[in-house]
Amino acid sequence: MSTASLKSPKSVRVISFSHRMSRWDLKLSPYLYISPFFLMFLVVGLFPIIFTAVISFQDWDLVRGSGKFVGFDQYIWILQQPHFWTALRNTFSIFLLSTIPQLALAIFIAAMLDRNIRAKTFWRMGVLLPFVVAPVAVGLIFNVVFADNFGLINGFLTDIGLPAIQWHKEPFWSHVAIATMVNYRWTGYNTLILLASMQAVNREYYEAATVDGAGPFRQFLYITLPSLRPTLIFVVITATIGGLQIFDEPRVFDQFGRGGAGQQWLTITLYLYDIGWGQWNFGRAAAMAWILFVIILLIGLLNLLITRTLVRDEGSRIAKPSRRARKELSR
Amino acid sequence: MSTTPPIAIVEEIPNDRQRRRGERTTHIRGSRPGFIVYAVLTVVFISAAFPLWWSFIIGSGDASSLRERPWWPGGNFLDNALAVVSNPAVNFWAALWNSIYSSFLIAASVVITSTLAGWAFAKLRFLGGPALLAFVVATMAVPQQLGVVPLYILFSDLGWTGTIGAIIVPALTSAFGVFWMTQYLRQAVPNELIEAARVDGASMIRTFWTVGVPAARPAAAMLFLFIFVGAWNNFFWPFIVLDRQNPTLPVALSLLQSNYFVDYSIVLAGVVLATIPLLLLFIFAGRQLVSGIMAGAVKG
Amino acid sequence: MRTSRRTIAATIAGAATLALVVTGCSAGGDTSNEKVTLTLATFNDFGYTDELLAEFTAETGIEVIHNKAATSNDARANYFQKLGNSGLADVEAVEIDWFTEAMQYSDLLEPVAADIKGRWLDWKEAAATDAAGNLIAYGTDIGPQGICYRSDLFAAAGLPTDRAEVATLFDGDWDNFFTIGAQYTAATGKPFIDSANSVLQGIVNQYELAYENPDGSIIATTNPDIEAAYKAVVEKAIPISAYSGQWSEDWFASMASGEFAAMLCPGWMLGVISGNAPDIKGWDIADAFPGGGGNWGGSYLTVPKNGAHVKEASELAAWLTSPETQLKAFANAGTFPSQVEALASDELAGATNEYFNNAPTGEILTDRANAITVATFKGPKYFQFHDALQNAVTRVFDGLEDEQTSWNNWVTEVSAF
Repeated sequence: MSTASLKSPKSVRVISFSHRMSRWDLKLSPYLYISPFFLMFLVVGLFPIIFTAVISFQDWDLVRGSGKFVGFDQYIWILQQPHFWTALRNTFSIFLLSTIPQLALAIFIAAMLDRNIRAKTFWRMGVLLPFVVAPVAVGLIFNVVFADNFGLINGFLTDIGLPAIQWHKEPFWSHVAIATMVNYRWTGYNTLILLASMQAVNREYYEAATVDGAGPFRQFLYITLPSLRPTLIFVVITATIGGLQIFDEPRVFDQFGRGGAGQQWLTITLYLYDIGWGQWNFGRAAAMAWILFVIILLIGLLNLLITRTLVRDEGSRIAKPSRRARKELSR
Repeated sequence: MSTTPPIAIVEEIPNDRQRRRGERTTHIRGSRPGFIVYAVLTVVFISAAFPLWWSFIIGSGDASSLRERPWWPGGNFLDNALAVVSNPAVNFWAALWNSIYSSFLIAASVVITSTLAGWAFAKLRFLGGPALLAFVVATMAVPQQLGVVPLYILFSDLGWTGTIGAIIVPALTSAFGVFWMTQYLRQAVPNELIEAARVDGASMIRTFWTVGVPAARPAAAMLFLFIFVGAWNNFFWPFIVLDRQNPTLPVALSLLQSNYFVDYSIVLAGVVLATIPLLLLFIFAGRQLVSGIMAGAVKG
Repeated sequence: MRTSRRTIAATIAGAATLALVVTGCSAGGDTSNEKVTLTLATFNDFGYTDELLAEFTAETGIEVIHNKAATSNDARANYFQKLGNSGLADVEAVEIDWFTEAMQYSDLLEPVAADIKGRWLDWKEAAATDAAGNLIAYGTDIGPQGICYRSDLFAAAGLPTDRAEVATLFDGDWDNFFTIGAQYTAATGKPFIDSANSVLQGIVNQYELAYENPDGSIIATTNPDIEAAYKAVVEKAIPISAYSGQWSEDWFASMASGEFAAMLCPGWMLGVISGNAPDIKGWDIADAFPGGGGNWGGSYLTVPKNGAHVKEASELAAWLTSPETQLKAFANAGTFPSQVEALASDELAGATNEYFNNAPTGEILTDRANAITVATFKGPKYFQFHDALQNAVTRVFDGLEDEQTSWNNWVTEVSAF
């Protein structure tokens, strides 16, 4: 079907200079394209990663900048801490409570925004407002909303006769509150990513499908979603990585920033930060960073496989013609 | 990716034909959506705009506004904004300028390096491509909380502490950006276009310019916006590496707070001021979200 | 055209980046020999106003640039990040909470000149003297505690309201305090005091030894005093407290609403109350403290040895912490002096606080400062242990665990430190 397959029948094999150049062009230029990124990355991106790896095997003193090699001691210490396993539980709980609603909502809102609405820029950029308002303000708002005694939600609940929710005492409710804060901040972001990709889908497919009688929902399932497959993979992976590293929201959830007196909302990155910047034990914090890295890789791969199987390939994105249209065609 | 619609092309406008026949017209997807869509969008917008609106309400009140929780703005916004801007410790205009140009340079650099790399990973086949991409994505999984420590050592040894360069250089590339452009270009650029350009004798770079760059425009705009906002709101690294005389905006505005007593009306007035430049950027980025950008290129 | 715009943008970005890189390389400081400029870094509010610093410049010709971090935590992260590298200010403020950690690196701090030793209260100086006998920090303020109370709420519960009478009432030990608190709560059904953990710190700060010995060994879990403090707080303070800890959104809100009637009040708390409850009229402060005296908080100034102008910086630190200057800072921000001469001064004796019913706060806090007999030894991990103990109290307060379980969990947790 492509025009490129129409070649002249018997092309003489002349290896001209420009041909040779174009062969090198083909082989080398990809590396040139990725080199700006990798060169800078090697200096400022890779260095911190290697540093984190090296000090994870040491008992490292920040001020003196020196450390004693201790092998895997730091890793073992972490795996023996009850707080670590509590933090792991919390991290997964918050991850599930935040990522799943967030992505569902983002897809839904992006689909709404993909339509031919008036004042497009206004509606589309509006969803990103929670993302740009400075964290201090958002933190303040949510503290007002979720305060145990004088908060807005509990005030409302007690007004209508229901018991107040112990946001800062019960682990589950603290996770709900934090997940709400996370979703609030990041849904618009994911919405715009999905929207940008939806805009790239050829409008003709939709027109043709509409002519066929496929409704918006069918079009969405059979045209939009399969076309979005690379973006959906992107969104799922970045949401996984980000979701397992949630840090800012649990940190501002109370005045101490340490995950609660009973570690109710302590996430792994928060625990990592407390050990590193609170107890000044950077060796241990680094070890925890790498343990988390392994966990993220595993979950990320799992989610990747799930997404790949769920979202069908482009081959089947053709909208099935409705019966009436099929009758028309065969007439 | 196939380029021709799989169903037979209809020559007439379907609604027209149906209307002439007196049948119920079907809605083409391009026609205006109904009331429900707008209702949903309004709800979404109100909840999304709430923090900014609320910040404005408190920022136009006084120190007790946070406790009293009024529903409407007070009259003090300009006074509070003036207090923020003229506060000597805050150094507002220097911070604003530093934030603007550092965020701009960071975002521009990320977009450029990510588009180049994304193009290569998405559309060019080369040895080690998939492995390198996987490596790039994997680096995103390393938590960044400790990153400040080695970065500070590096920049301190170079003597760059206190300069805006120390903010810009570590942020010039982004694994996230590369991954995003890769996936977007994979999806948005039909291979036929590239092959067509190559058959026409275009070199790799020309193909990139004429096919890749225009296709990448919406994604690049989004990436620019996200990276800009991220750089704009970044606190911890600028706090560590910059002097108070030469801050970025979040660091400068943080001086309005303290452990013991905070006048939140001033703090939130500062928040509103710091958000305004971002809103201007919204308008620019939003216009780049144009649908069917490749449709014209694909026809015929 | 799209491509040309992109090219232009790319060129500008590239050129500007290059320019900045080059500028960054050549960034240095002012290298003139004539005028020395010092940087001073504090947090919260030490009372060092621009006018005050201008006096120093007028006297010595040295300019001072004053940098303020928003919170003590930010200042702490900044301090330890740079202490072993470079980049600290010439004079850096350190809060008592993280001062014990800084003492671990006393070799990186410039010692105080011998001729001004003895300027501060002996326990304030002792805490800043390292094992080698060097005094490595300049004391700024201390936090002697009195009892702040709401006279209107006291009246409603049948308690005395006159300052002197309240002082007599509380002049006793902690059990006396708890009894009165229980009386109040029984009479009104409302909490007496703001937080249980403020009581915990009040009690622990009256012990000679808390969690560590001066020789470095850990006694946290074996020290009977600590267990006694925990029991007292859990059994007697929790029932009369409104909150477990302070500084939460709710806690600030209830300062104004009359949820509690009394607080343990160091000098710096006065500003917190008056700032957050500006419309309340009934606050007053009594010259008493359970167990005699107690100190809560306070800061020091340090001079990093790797600074560019160590001699001038020492001069500045000495000047800022002189009795005269500290009194001026006190007038500015309520930071109560730690200098012996300042405590004996008339100015201090005459200071009053309008918000607190015109109480002679200078006199009251001086009395309370003189009543401090014990300065708890605080080792480098003091605040880790103490924070964990506060969490244990909070868990009981919140009903998550009972007294014994929470204690056992604390013991397990701190054994791993």
